[in-house]
Amino acid sequence: MARVPIEQGFFRIPDDPADPPRLLGSRCPSCGEAFFPRRLVCARCLHEGTEDIELSTKGTIHTWTYCLVPMFGKKDADVAGYGVAQVDLPEGPRVQSILFGEPDDFAIGTEVEIDLETLRQNKDGDDVVIYRFRPAHAGAAAGPGTAP
Amino acid sequence: MRHGLKFDGVAVAGIGMVRFGMYKDIPYRHLARDAGLAALHDAGMTLADVDEAFVGYIQPAPMLGIMAMKELGLTGLPVTHIENASATGLVAFREAAWAVSSGRADVAMALCFDKFTDMTRTGGRGAGRDVIDAPILPAAYFALWAQRRMHDRGTTPEIFATIAAKNWNYGAACPFAHRQPDHVVTAEEVLASRMVAEPLTAMMCCPADDGAACIVVAREDLVRSRRPDRPLVRALASALTSETYSPGHTFVGPVVGPATMTRDTAIECYETAGLGPEDVSVAYCHDAFVNEELEYYELLGFCAEGEGEKLVVEGETGPGGRIPFNTDGGLIARGHPGGPTGTAMLHEAVLQLRGEAEGRQVEGARVALAHLVGGGSIATVNLLGVEGVGS
Repeated sequence: MARVPIEQGFFRIPDDPADPPRLLGSRCPSCGEAFFPRRLVCARCLHEGTEDIELSTKGTIHTWTYCLVPMFGKKDADVAGYGVAQVDLPEGPRVQSILFGEPDDFAIGTEVEIDLETLRQNKDGDDVVIYRFRPAHAGAAAGPGTAP
Repeated sequence: MRHGLKFDGVAVAGIGMVRFGMYKDIPYRHLARDAGLAALHDAGMTLADVDEAFVGYIQPAPMLGIMAMKELGLTGLPVTHIENASATGLVAFREAAWAVSSGRADVAMALCFDKFTDMTRTGGRGAGRDVIDAPILPAAYFALWAQRRMHDRGTTPEIFATIAAKNWNYGAACPFAHRQPDHVVTAEEVLASRMVAEPLTAMMCCPADDGAACIVVAREDLVRSRRPDRPLVRALASALTSETYSPGHTFVGPVVGPATMTRDTAIECYETAGLGPEDVSVAYCHDAFVNEELEYYELLGFCAEGEGEKLVVEGETGPGGRIPFNTDGGLIARGHPGGPTGTAMLHEAVLQLRGEAEGRQVEGARVALAHLVGGGSIATVNLLGVEGVGS
């Protein structure tokens, strides 16, 4: 059974399940600015043509909240709540993501690392996955859908 | 070169709206019709007097604007659809005012409507956690701002709750507000309501709404001759910006751009009008989530950075204060259907400038400011004034 991304072009799934996924970004060869996701035109200097890069697997929380309303409808009625953050990556990009963990695990400046969540199986029986972040410190809470 | 729009000889001819709320059994085109007719009646006009129309809505399908306009009549006038997320209504007004200012129309209308109860298409938002670009609710997005503010400035949830209570209580005095509480709402009540996204409670968030609101603008001399019985309200200036790239821009997921977009857009509008925040009597802002209003006190120039809390504690943005904000209850109490939010804002601003905002009138109001931000990174600031201002 394979793992497939929810949408192509945003992240790479490693062959070894023990390895973290990698966000796919771009770097401008002219001014050096890095972006997520990939883009053709540099948003800073308008240079056309960027280089593909893979972004770091760890970053820090710029800001976060914990969302308690299952407003995504019945699909998520079983989820009591979930963290949401903007994560600053060392290369520069700021990424919005759902967090694994409980409110006490998060603070501005907390180091987090990327992981995958399995959302469902597709008709071929593959796991459909999306990226999330979790606190990087040892013993951080495991997220839903990630248990091997 | 980009600059704000300064309107020349443009006055408000008429305003009309349907009180925001949940109207499951009323089709959108009837909501739009009722708001449009109310505005035309207020102007002393019919559709035959209108040279051009701009229709705005966010959901759920193409062509609805032209269909809605047919409810008012079929006169052959040009109709253009405007969509700029939550900022739609103010942008439709901006285009209508510019149509008159530029001389291509004597009379133009901005008619906006939306029906949240009828939303059949999500446009990728709220479609579930399993789409790449929509894992974050609007409430969560603005909660991220609130958390950052609390971290950087030590802002307390009590400050947010005090602003929300102010807007709920303004709603009680406004007949067009969705939420009209039957008792005085306190900060304690706001804090005790259900937590939505830390630190925002349900009463700090706007409701979902259906509704419609319309504003008709025209050449000043026409407005004077049609309605010589009341004070003239002028459209003064408008600024509209999308985001300028800065590090930390998030390209995936909901985004309205950094809060500072509001500051740059306000400066552009003030400079265009030849006015400053000290000239503004009453202000309207995008308080979909209450912490936004606190940020905008500073970004719209009504106090120095970091002094928004002081305005709240001293009651300066409520009844009798130095700069009352959202006197119709704002998005939190008046409601926030989307498209018509901006035109409803102008409805209240015009009532204030005419001196007709019974029960919530800002005494001697001369200049009103209307601000909205919109998803995808849009900000707009618009100024209206009574006769003798800015000319």
